[in-house]
Amino acid sequence: MPGFDFSNHTRNAALHARGVPLPKATSTGTTIVGCIFDGGVVNCEKLHYIAPQIWCAGAGTAADTEFTTALISSELELHSLSTGRKPRVVTCMTMLKQHLFRYQGHIGAYLVVAGVDPTGVGLFTVHAHGSTDKLPYVTMGSGSLAAMSVFETQWKSKMTEQEAVTLASNAIQAGIFNDLGSGSNVDVAIITKDKTTLKRGYVKPNERSKKQKSYVFKRGTTAVLNEKIITKEEISKYVTVHELGSGEATVGEKMDIDV
Amino acid sequence: MAAMFSQNPLMNGPNYSFNQAPSTSSGGNKEHAFYPYTDNGGSTLAISGSDFTIIAGDTRSTSGYSINTRFQPKVFKIGGTTSAQDDATLVLSVVGFAADGEALKERLDTIVKMYRYQHGKPMSVKACAQRLSTILYGKRFFPYYVTAILGGLDEEGKGAIYSYDPVGSYEREQCRAAGAAASLIMPFLDNQVNFKNQYMPGSGVGHELQEREKIPLKINEVEDLVKDAFDSAVERHIEVGDGLQMFVITKSGIEVIYKALKKD
Amino acid sequence: MDTLVAQYSKPMFEKENYSQDDQMELYQAAPSLSLRFAMPPVAQPSAWLRAATDDNANPNCPIKIAHGTTTLAFRFQGGIIVATDSRATAGNWIASQTVKKVIEINNCLLGTMAGGAADCQYWLAYLGMQCRLHELRHKRRISVAAASKILANLVYSYKGMGLSMGTMCAGVTPSEGPALYYIDSDGTRLAGNLFCVGSGQTFAYGVLDAEYKYDMTEEEALALGSRSILAATHRDAYSGGFINLYHVKEDGWVKHGFSDTAPIFWKTKLEKGEFSNVTSELV
Repeated sequence: MPGFDFSNHTRNAALHARGVPLPKATSTGTTIVGCIFDGGVVNCEKLHYIAPQIWCAGAGTAADTEFTTALISSELELHSLSTGRKPRVVTCMTMLKQHLFRYQGHIGAYLVVAGVDPTGVGLFTVHAHGSTDKLPYVTMGSGSLAAMSVFETQWKSKMTEQEAVTLASNAIQAGIFNDLGSGSNVDVAIITKDKTTLKRGYVKPNERSKKQKSYVFKRGTTAVLNEKIITKEEISKYVTVHELGSGEATVGEKMDIDV
Repeated sequence: MAAMFSQNPLMNGPNYSFNQAPSTSSGGNKEHAFYPYTDNGGSTLAISGSDFTIIAGDTRSTSGYSINTRFQPKVFKIGGTTSAQDDATLVLSVVGFAADGEALKERLDTIVKMYRYQHGKPMSVKACAQRLSTILYGKRFFPYYVTAILGGLDEEGKGAIYSYDPVGSYEREQCRAAGAAASLIMPFLDNQVNFKNQYMPGSGVGHELQEREKIPLKINEVEDLVKDAFDSAVERHIEVGDGLQMFVITKSGIEVIYKALKKD
Repeated sequence: MDTLVAQYSKPMFEKENYSQDDQMELYQAAPSLSLRFAMPPVAQPSAWLRAATDDNANPNCPIKIAHGTTTLAFRFQGGIIVATDSRATAGNWIASQTVKKVIEINNCLLGTMAGGAADCQYWLAYLGMQCRLHELRHKRRISVAAASKILANLVYSYKGMGLSMGTMCAGVTPSEGPALYYIDSDGTRLAGNLFCVGSGQTFAYGVLDAEYKYDMTEEEALALGSRSILAATHRDAYSGGFINLYHVKEDGWVKHGFSDTAPIFWKTKLEKGEFSNVTSELV
């Protein structure tokens, strides 16, 4: 069966009525923005791929934004294959709104869709209930008001790419600093008809400061009541053990250690 | 007799690990609610040493997802001769509802000031601690929504801190974290100040292992601990940040240190 | 009509500043003995207070008051043993592991603390004051019966207001010998040989009832008090920390330590072979 599994719904509704709290889904306290400029569009924070020239920024329930964009990305790719045309931003927006409207807001995805297609530049917002907007600059998420205040005061038509990126980045930073739900770094996607440039950590205004003290514990600090050593021979009864050489290949992921 | 203690769900036999009482409000008439409290977030922290006390607090004030201001102190000098508090010997930190905190601070300050004028000497921490408890308990039926910590030097010159619940139960302690990030900071303090769960390597096997010796920390070590505790709290709690105020109380007076915290 | 006129002929902003009484309170370093409590400006203060502070009825209440305890006291031939744990909880948060739940009212009277920490601390301190005043007025020490009745009458006068206390008064007086009373915020006051109070009371009773004999030696009685608290800290999540042990004798009480439960637990398990349900063996 495709789609959602509702088999636990009745039980959960009954439990909820008895006062059981619902499990909390991770919500992205977020600032996301989009802004068009001459010949392209920039899109900031929490970016999801839709098509090579269409990207989506998501706020709201993390899992919902992730899966909704992935689903629409896939459907749009199939649509593009069957029509033999490049995907359009409006098409993507329409598919998203139809999908979200069908679920009456229960899918908590709040999206900024931005891209360039043969018809030109497209920038939209899509709300969880299915409503959409088409604007030259948009913001969403808990930091949307802070970010919008930057756009409303500083946006102008016919900006260069660099101007647009700086403006969008400033808008995001307004969210980072003035909204408690938003924080850390600025990610940017710059989409033009020729190429898409993704800049993760375009600005990093919030690096953690160095610790004052060292918190390395001497080996043996933790009390051990009992210990059991499992030998390689024993463990290989249950899993396959590969012998690694001592070359460079042995170095897997290295752990950061405080000193 | 047992009614008041049946809060332990196990006493009523096997049970769900959930609250049975519906948390959704039942029907009936809705009346205008009297809700005089807001949580303004933030955290405070106090550590006492052999001849000093440090009380610190962040300076962010929040409501909901918004920042009211990035500089509203939560830590105050108490009971100096003048409003400048230059000769104060006591420090009070309040976290929770800022308006109640302010009111409590003002009230304690006037009382301690009056004591100084009438007796010609500053109030001892011990006396002030007891007085603060009765002030808080005086509002037992309409509490101050604050967690207070009082600090100073005791009659022997040793560091002293007293921590309170909102209605005035209090206790002298070595260290205490309060407010939004208390649950993040307090375990760190247990481990780093009282050396909880730390043992001396090689001092024995199994149950013979000896606990790490409890050595009083030096003043600069405590300052470092406080900064690290707040830097970590800022990483994981949205209501903590912007600035850190540290009040260092020694026999030569109270030094106030300000350090920046992350502002996102 | 006169009252109406009186009401409206007062200066408009008369009440804007502190009242005379409030002003006085600020000048006095010591609080007045008259017990005046600030009340929320609502029709049902107790219902409002419950909504704001009772974490059992409303887990999201803004003010969480410290709760949770195991305390016990019992009479035996050598006096009275009083023992408590030292944990304070506010919701699921362990607010403190070092609470002193035995309150020294004076050098021969002890009170224990269960329920609201502030309620117990404040009213037992108040009781201490009343006991001292009794001594000054009557030139002899107050009986435990009288002391406990002061407390019982006091909490009864606040009945329904939301006080939460379960306390025991233990003391030895020439007139009564060793005497033990249980008082709670419902207004109950009982004399008895043996009481356990708090969320861990059942676990403590389990051990205490099984092993209790009036003719125990002092050593046995202290060990039993300690062991009963240990049992409660082991099974009740709201109890833990340290074991606070007191012995009340004719010439006053004696403190027998404030000891960490963790090493006592392992000592009890390994040396006496008890708590065999707990294992450190790896499977």
